[in-house]
Amino acid sequence: MAPPPASAVADAMNGPRSAPRDSQTNIDIMAVTKGFHWPWFIALMLAVSGVVMAAGALVYQTYVGLGVAGYQAPVFWGVYIITFVFWIGIGHAGTLISAILFLFRAKWRNAINRGAEAMTVFAVLTAALFPLIHIGRLWKFYFLLPYPNQRYLWVNFKSPLIWDVFAVNTYLTISVLFFIVGLVPDIAIARDRAVGWKKVLYTIASGGWQGTGKQWKAHNRAVLHLSGIATPLVLSVHSIVSWDFAMSIVPGWHATIFAPYFVAGAIFGGFAMVIVVMVPVRRIFRLENYITDYHFENMSRFILFTSIICGYAYLAEYFIAWYSGIEAEQTSFWLRAFGPYWFSTWFMITFNVIFPQLLWIKKLRTNVPFLFVLCVLINLGMWFERYVIIITSLSREYIPAAWGLYIPSTVELMVLTGSFCWFSMFFLVFLKVFPIIAITEVKELQIHAKEPGHVDGHWH
Amino acid sequence: MANTLVSVYDLPSDVSNVVRKLKARGFEDLTTYSPAPFDEIELAEDPKPSGVRAFTLIGGLVGVVTGFGLQIWMALDWPVKIAGKNFAAIPPMWIIGFELMILFAGILTVVGLIGLGGLYPRKLDEHYSPRFSAEEFGVVVNCEERDVAEVESLMRGHNAKEVTLHASH
Repeated sequence: MAPPPASAVADAMNGPRSAPRDSQTNIDIMAVTKGFHWPWFIALMLAVSGVVMAAGALVYQTYVGLGVAGYQAPVFWGVYIITFVFWIGIGHAGTLISAILFLFRAKWRNAINRGAEAMTVFAVLTAALFPLIHIGRLWKFYFLLPYPNQRYLWVNFKSPLIWDVFAVNTYLTISVLFFIVGLVPDIAIARDRAVGWKKVLYTIASGGWQGTGKQWKAHNRAVLHLSGIATPLVLSVHSIVSWDFAMSIVPGWHATIFAPYFVAGAIFGGFAMVIVVMVPVRRIFRLENYITDYHFENMSRFILFTSIICGYAYLAEYFIAWYSGIEAEQTSFWLRAFGPYWFSTWFMITFNVIFPQLLWIKKLRTNVPFLFVLCVLINLGMWFERYVIIITSLSREYIPAAWGLYIPSTVELMVLTGSFCWFSMFFLVFLKVFPIIAITEVKELQIHAKEPGHVDGHWH
Repeated sequence: MANTLVSVYDLPSDVSNVVRKLKARGFEDLTTYSPAPFDEIELAEDPKPSGVRAFTLIGGLVGVVTGFGLQIWMALDWPVKIAGKNFAAIPPMWIIGFELMILFAGILTVVGLIGLGGLYPRKLDEHYSPRFSAEEFGVVVNCEERDVAEVESLMRGHNAKEVTLHASH
């Protein structure tokens, strides 16, 4: 029997349609970008004020010279380099969550990976400022790049500082690309529901995304490959940062354990920062259904694990210093614990090793206020870890007559505070423009859970 | 006269099943819309590996060659003898070589995504709907007038909650 003509069946088929309903996940997560939230606004104003204050300090330092920093012979690496290492480390948890846990198919990451990726990008953006601030003459930064010049000189490719330039720039580029690639499908969701200037912004940023099979295929493969290359990259970046120290012969720095020690410390501090950032976000924007205690518990397990690695590294350093029989090494480590910087060392040990052991207790792993306080202290502990490594070694090198004492100056502390405000400012603006939770990844789990025969109803 | 049938589904398994059936019946001119990534739909629609992998490989190779080439050229351009080693000593070059391999591979991967996924600001497909960025799936098939009934029957047979016909003259 011949089929009826299409035009005849068209009317019959195109009857009244059910009104399309939006997904509750879209509504809940996009709600963060809508409306006005006082806590958010106050935080943003504080962040902007801090950035302005730090910019003022920086202009003053640039005008007067690096003498206004606390640099004093023999210590010429101070707060700026410490803070650089700190922020690079913070970025590592984002890549670990988005890339390494993706490769391991750890689905629980889906609710927190966007926030962690954003944190990575903004942390690396913050970190990248510090070598420039540290060199004093900001406008000479291009000396770090291999460019043709009148002196026919190239950069020294055997220097870890040049390795750092390449590693940090590669890390920043790959983190930004990874972040944007993951965001595109979610921006399309926002585009379909936006009006006004946001509609224009999202239309451009979503790049014609419609979720076709062809687009998802290319997207899935790109995410897989970016994860595959970001994994060794993230391990290399903090290893290279550690070689800034370990490639020298300064007592306390010249150790082969530095690369894994730094990588573990970076993941430790990074996870702590994810918790510090996500706890208030979850509370203020009512995202308890998406970022659950289960996520915090899993992150606290990572913190516990990496804290043990850090503790092992601290002990190994002391053991090797003693076992080496080298007096300069032994003295350096003795002075760390009992010299003028003893407070930093014991602060670091207390909050990076001793207190995190409380996370063996399940009740504390799921106690969000406790986790928040602990993670703030861990972040301080991780900053002090870099302070201990850098300052104690430089201030007590070989000849006691050349020893010195380093005390951070007001300008340095203002720039340090400003770095936290700079990071927060970007994060707060991001919160109001783009979805803080990867909507499509959450929906993938939710929709699969609806399939008949699906056993685990939990999308996390 | 071209006919386009647009069907809407709730579950990815229904989409993958109907796509497989449609392709088996020779209806190759079809597009799926999905609110999230689902392997089963990807495999049903096009089981071939994505071309993005070639971009990553080429980027990685170009990067590692650039990394070593840059350093060897610069070492020979301003030769400095250090500890009796070659002017262009290879071992320390692995670090920059590795970083540039990753950098170029990442950039080319995204170029591949943009090229193969058609990711550039443009007008959206006529049959795309915001409901496909909510929780529903779409399968759009272009077919001849004589095939409309068969395609519709296949769609409805796989739990299409809605099928609409768009006939263009």
